[in-house]
Amino acid sequence: MTIRMTQTIAGAALLASVLLTGGCKTTVNTVESAQPTAKKEMVADKRVITDSSLASKVYVVGVNEAKTPGGLIQIQLEVVNQTSSRQRFTYHVQWFDAAGMQLSSTTAAILPCVIEGKETRYLSAVAPHPACKDFRVQFLENSK
Amino acid sequence: MKKHFLPLALITLTPLIWTGCSSGGARRIDAGGRESVTTIGHVDIQDFVAAAEASVGKLLASGALDKVPNPPAILAISSVRNQTGQQFDTDLLTKKIRVKLNTSGKALTTTTVGLDGVAEDPLAKQLQGERELLEKKRDNVTPNFTLSGKIIETRARAGDVRQSTFSFQLSLTDKRGLAVWEGEEEITKQGKRPSVGF
Repeated sequence: MTIRMTQTIAGAALLASVLLTGGCKTTVNTVESAQPTAKKEMVADKRVITDSSLASKVYVVGVNEAKTPGGLIQIQLEVVNQTSSRQRFTYHVQWFDAAGMQLSSTTAAILPCVIEGKETRYLSAVAPHPACKDFRVQFLENSK
Repeated sequence: MKKHFLPLALITLTPLIWTGCSSGGARRIDAGGRESVTTIGHVDIQDFVAAAEASVGKLLASGALDKVPNPPAILAISSVRNQTGQQFDTDLLTKKIRVKLNTSGKALTTTTVGLDGVAEDPLAKQLQGERELLEKKRDNVTPNFTLSGKIIETRARAGDVRQSTFSFQLSLTDKRGLAVWEGEEEITKQGKRPSVGF
């Protein structure tokens, strides 16, 4: 009797986990030009990984840098969800001047991002001040 | 006795570990940060922060403010209407935009020109008038642009799941009366009840 009950509970748990996991798994199909005309100015980046779980799920492919018409630095991060399930994270861009001083804490917006399975997204930011020379982007996985 | 120790310990410790991350006691958190409360039917502080950040980023990237004869551009704030069911001061959005534009060096906001002739800073307007009278010449500081907008709410519901979309619509109009830049940021929130975090 006890063995049967255990088997029933285990079966139900297995079924529930399959349903819950399977329900969230949808991946993105894409189509694009085989010979894109745009030429990206990619930045050589340095990465400090403290959450390998997030880094393995949401991978930063690269950082593209350009200037706005007014001369401000504009960055665009290409991130790809390497998993088959939807991922949620927040990111935060910090800007620094030529002396390495962080500029303008008023622009310290922490922005949420939802990325579907196997989807590539582009996260953009514009420097808050013409004196901005460097940037750093922080990523944090959502706890739920 | 030993057999029951591990399950008992797990049952006792699990709630303690969970509550360790979210104790109910009051504490300070970063405004608009990762620990902010997210509601469904209201515009939260992090929504204003995100809308302002995105709007200013797009405005600066457009270069619209750079097309003035004598930079930085002079900006006057027109009406930004709250069309949601919630009562809040729209300065929660416009002030953040103003601060960011001011910091960028691309635009300065006039505080002596306002809608219906009402200045944001009446003393500054009075002093400007007195100086113009004494010097017998008018300060030729007329705004290059006006900023106007609306905040609109759209609600939907499926069973006990509620959804709210807040649209932050902004227009930058030049002296000719043409909207030279327009921006719209939409923030959609869905859930059954408010929660902590994004």
